[in-house]
Amino acid sequence: MIDVRDLSRSFGRTVALDHVSFRVEPGEIVALLGPNGAGKTTASRIIAGILAPSEGDVLVDGISVRADPGSIRVRCGMVTDQPSLYERMTLRAYLEFFCRLYDVAAAARRTEELAALLNLTDRLDVRLGAFSRGMKQKVAIARGLVHDPPVLLLDEPATALDPETARSLRSFIVSLRARHRAILLCTHDLDEAQRIADRVVVLYRGRVAREGLTGALRADEHPRFVVSFTGDVRVALDMLARAGVNAEPAAAENGYAALRFDADEPGTTNPAVLRALLESGMRVITLVREERSLEDAYFSIVAEAGERGG
Amino acid sequence: MGKAALIAWREIRWEIFGDRGSVLRTGFFALLPILFVVSGRGMGRGGPNDISILILALQSTLIPALSGVALIASTFTQEKENGTLVPLLASPVRDIDIVVGKLIGMVAPVMAICAGSLTVFYVLGSFVYGADRLRAALPGEILFALLVLAFLYLMTAGSWVLIVAAIVRTTRAGQQISGLMIGLSAAIFAVLGVAAARIADGWALVALGVFFVVADVVALEIARRVWQRAEVIGRL
Repeated sequence: MIDVRDLSRSFGRTVALDHVSFRVEPGEIVALLGPNGAGKTTASRIIAGILAPSEGDVLVDGISVRADPGSIRVRCGMVTDQPSLYERMTLRAYLEFFCRLYDVAAAARRTEELAALLNLTDRLDVRLGAFSRGMKQKVAIARGLVHDPPVLLLDEPATALDPETARSLRSFIVSLRARHRAILLCTHDLDEAQRIADRVVVLYRGRVAREGLTGALRADEHPRFVVSFTGDVRVALDMLARAGVNAEPAAAENGYAALRFDADEPGTTNPAVLRALLESGMRVITLVREERSLEDAYFSIVAEAGERGG
Repeated sequence: MGKAALIAWREIRWEIFGDRGSVLRTGFFALLPILFVVSGRGMGRGGPNDISILILALQSTLIPALSGVALIASTFTQEKENGTLVPLLASPVRDIDIVVGKLIGMVAPVMAICAGSLTVFYVLGSFVYGADRLRAALPGEILFALLVLAFLYLMTAGSWVLIVAAIVRTTRAGQQISGLMIGLSAAIFAVLGVAAARIADGWALVALGVFFVVADVVALEIARRVWQRAEVIGRL
């Protein structure tokens, strides 16, 4: 489990993190989102025990990163956005080297297990410099897993992967969640975050701009609905205006007309809309809540944070 | 120190012997003593005198050591540039293991080249100038002293270069500064060596040796402190 407590980090006069707090429970994937320079990489490096905090603390499985960073490093597996490999080494030599750094008992066996897991068995004795970008990223992932850590810190793990490899990587990360790993995913890929993250923490200029369940973040504070019906759109707009509902035309689906409207109080507004349409002789086909994508939610959160001055 | 040995082994096996450029450079150092022996033949009738032979032997031993210092600087700056330092620092390895491992990984092969170069000079010189001349000019204790000198130079200059490599960001900057340090340190070594040889029947040389060992320890401690991972990562 990762417990980030009131964490701050400065580099000279630059404040990279400013009193940041969040948690990642075992069996949970938390996406750390934010624009470049928001502090994502700094946060993951402090959690990994390779960068000292200026203020605050991080507990990994109850161990303080300030008190015992060595024990933290044993518990964390880190995958960086760049593979950063020793390219003159073969895959086998590289993974065995890291197995030995992490005191893994059966280094040769673990190396073969990881190569099999990532479909790299036939490349074990090939130099890493000859690998494609996607394969190098797989090796970086294998390196982060050599000691089977309970905590995984993934910094843009799918960078430069082709869609198929990125998809298999997502499945792999989800399988690690099922094995009760606490996973922090630093990413710009909002689609990836939406697909696999249980919770989202949005950083903006070193501060937490918003934190919550992925679904809750996507749910707008001002819910929007789309009603589809048979009939004339202009007449329907006029009827809704008389009922006190501001609506706008939406894209027609399956040949039906559609209108979009805000409903801060759906219990009052939605029956009013239905009544107005039905009373004017129209047949209502569907009335559905329009969901925001995580991308929409993210931009809205970042814009709000920008307006507040970070 | 098991992990320092592991890091050192990786450097030797994969960064020195795994790199064709490194192997070619090593081949160049094997040619140096041949050139020195051949050039010595032209030093007057009967070839070089004992002092000239000693200077040629010194050059055969120390020139590979000079290049070794640049190698030590580049090993760290390259890791910083390539980002390979982050996974290394993220592993449960002590800072001192990284510093010592890298230093051993560079010093051991360079010392082997120094010894090889001196051996080639001695064997070839024995054929060209005569075995008795070589035995008289370079007795066993002088050969040993030359290797100790090369080792002390490599460790001292290498340790100080490590500090520079921690601070600079690029391999190019590291090489430029280490080049400057190589020149300065070689001059300082030469001046101190000559001065010490003239004081107290050469016993001051022993004191100079002790001074260099102390300088090594101090430099290594500073390098370890400068190389604390939090600071290194902060600079990346």
